[in-house]
Amino acid sequence: MAGVAPLTNQQYNYEVIRKFAIAALVWAVLGMFTGVYIASELAFPFLNFDTPYITFGRLRPVHTTGVIFGFGGNALFATSYFVVQRTCQARLPSDRLANFTFYGWNLAIFLGVISYMAGYTQSREYAEFEWPIDILIAVVWVTYFWLYLQTLRRRSQPHIYVANWFYMAFILATALLHIFNNLAMPVSFFGLKSYSLFSGVQDAMTQWWYGHNAVGFFLTAAFLGMMYYFVPKQAGRPVYSYRLSIIHFWALIFLYMWVGTHHLHWTAIPDWTSSLAATFSILLLMPSWGGMINGIMTLSGAWDKLRSDPIMLFLITALSFYGMSTFEGPMMALKSVNSLSHYTDWTVGHVHSGALGWVAMVSFGSFYHMIPRLYNTTIFSKKLIYVHFFLATIGIILYITAMWVSGIGQGLMLRAFDDYGNLAYTFVESVAFMHWPLVTRALGGVFFLSGVIIMVFNVYMTIVTAKREATVKAAESEVARAV
Amino acid sequence: MKNAEHESSHVETTGHVWDGDLQEYDNPIPGWWLWTFYATVIFAIVYWVIYPTWPVGSSYTKGMFNDITFHNDKGEAVTTHWNMRALFLKDQQEGKQALKRQEYLEKIGNSSFAEIISDPEKLAFARSMSKVLFADNCAACHGSGAAGVIGLFPNLIDDDWLWGGKIENIHQTLLHGRQGFMPSFTNSFDPEQLDALAEYVLSLSGISGGDSHKVAEGEQIFKGETGGCYYCHGKDGKGLLSQGSANLTDSIWTMANVPGSDDYSAKLEAVKQVILNGISRKMPAWSDRLSDEQIKMLTVYVHQMGGGR
Repeated sequence: MAGVAPLTNQQYNYEVIRKFAIAALVWAVLGMFTGVYIASELAFPFLNFDTPYITFGRLRPVHTTGVIFGFGGNALFATSYFVVQRTCQARLPSDRLANFTFYGWNLAIFLGVISYMAGYTQSREYAEFEWPIDILIAVVWVTYFWLYLQTLRRRSQPHIYVANWFYMAFILATALLHIFNNLAMPVSFFGLKSYSLFSGVQDAMTQWWYGHNAVGFFLTAAFLGMMYYFVPKQAGRPVYSYRLSIIHFWALIFLYMWVGTHHLHWTAIPDWTSSLAATFSILLLMPSWGGMINGIMTLSGAWDKLRSDPIMLFLITALSFYGMSTFEGPMMALKSVNSLSHYTDWTVGHVHSGALGWVAMVSFGSFYHMIPRLYNTTIFSKKLIYVHFFLATIGIILYITAMWVSGIGQGLMLRAFDDYGNLAYTFVESVAFMHWPLVTRALGGVFFLSGVIIMVFNVYMTIVTAKREATVKAAESEVARAV
Repeated sequence: MKNAEHESSHVETTGHVWDGDLQEYDNPIPGWWLWTFYATVIFAIVYWVIYPTWPVGSSYTKGMFNDITFHNDKGEAVTTHWNMRALFLKDQQEGKQALKRQEYLEKIGNSSFAEIISDPEKLAFARSMSKVLFADNCAACHGSGAAGVIGLFPNLIDDDWLWGGKIENIHQTLLHGRQGFMPSFTNSFDPEQLDALAEYVLSLSGISGGDSHKVAEGEQIFKGETGGCYYCHGKDGKGLLSQGSANLTDSIWTMANVPGSDDYSAKLEAVKQVILNGISRKMPAWSDRLSDEQIKMLTVYVHQMGGGR
């Protein structure tokens, strides 16, 4: 055991990590509650209440922004600052700029959510922010990049740990994606409305170049960075294979950029772009699985931990869902499968097996590891971590199965013919068929959300206990000094 | 790390340590991972050989062994490399379901309305296709059960027709659309005149407020130059087919929600609102969106909804 790092707050900036971690949990509750609500709107449309601000169309980006950028983004800021400081044994170069990334990022999301409800959107999926907010995000992101790079440069270790490669790739790629996808001309200097620089097929392809790489770099590469730190840490074992981590890192980073157009199969795009995206999606399968293998094999030999450590349960389940959805993805990217799955709930189910199963589960596991360490204490209740784990898992399974039934069912109905060679079902009949799956999906969301609420309670109690302990200790030393 | 040492005694770590205890084994890449990756590479290369894939200058590789033959508008056979458009056209021309459909569509095209209605097979085909056509194109306004919405879209399942319910009327409506219009009478009447006119209109359908004077006064307005209502609705209030003006005497209401109003004053108010606001509604033309055969079948379908008279 070489060089055990001292864990003082003076050495590392933990304050900003605490802020990001708490913000991540707040956005998780808000974003997932919105998700449950819009899922219920689809099952029971009266819930729109004829009120424009809360209709599905406006709340949907509120949900996606809240969970991806609010929960996911804050979780990535928190864990990346934690990981980079600890693996480099270096403090973030500037507290002020670190705080700026916190306030800037959360202000941007807050403004985004408010503007969506007021009806302002660029209509670019996962990039609905209008131009002034885009500029704020770009400034925050460049600051984030600079802070991260400077911390890496100040490292007192000769080598850069693998988790940092993934975080760095994520930060770089996201900057690139954000800036190019949002190139737009504002209608007026004081208005929110703008028009994209791209149009037609170029517009669609730029949007999905962004959209899929948001999945690839924001929701995959970055969370692999999280995995590469927290899985070996929690398992107390070395990463399974250094070589595999190098190969799958570069393969993943290289291949992801090519596949966005598979979101546009069978539309007015050139055929070659479609084929290229389909084949690169297949090529992406094994590089994606590299991360899963490395994570799961890291635990092999310590499987008994699954019996005693609920955090490990979260991390391993996350890796399993990661493996499943990165297998499902390339299959859905094949044109023949896509002709059935596209425009149905199958896509929604696929996204959520990645988002709930992988992104959220790996974040929960990492947070249960990280938060007690941030406050120099232990978790308030291990039992509640188990409760959270089972609620989350039941929620995901209900969600995904409901969406498979709904999506594949609708897909089959829309391509069924009757004896005369006519379409057997009308579109609205397929919508009526989806009612019960949609109800089940909303119920799955309720399970998942209640797990998160239990986590928030657990974390809250952990922090309160930690603060109380700190006060008691301070008082004791005061007494000792007086005596 | 007793476990680790025990299990991988012959595998070294890379020798780097981060954050106290983070290390990496120097395990080789799993063989199955590598071979499966190579398999996906071979799959991709085969795919690239067969299908259009790589951009080359301002063109792209066209692929091999993938020709599709279809017929263009002039009926000439065209052979081309694989592409979505050709695949779609070929499927529309030679697909199993398309051929089945084509056989019936030809029969429909060569039949008169009477022949379609009297031949059970043709009628069954027309219904099968019209069901989806109606749901995807008409139901958005007229409702999936075709009962319409009072005040907005006409009911198609009663036997009351603004523009005529005969086959040829419905055909005309579907082909060219309709423009329903009644002027607004906001500034034409004083409140008493408006009351009187509305009472008269209600009385035409046998709904009475008990004030025969008012009804008589309203009749004057309706049939005289003050209101001029008879220009379109006729002296008898039965409407004119050429205008699409409503028959006011049959107790069927398409604009004023008289049946849904509880008491007489609410019914009166509903009628007054229509007089004040006028009507402007539009049924789109479908001749540029649906084929002749499709419109023909929809005509039969809608005609039968209203009882087929």
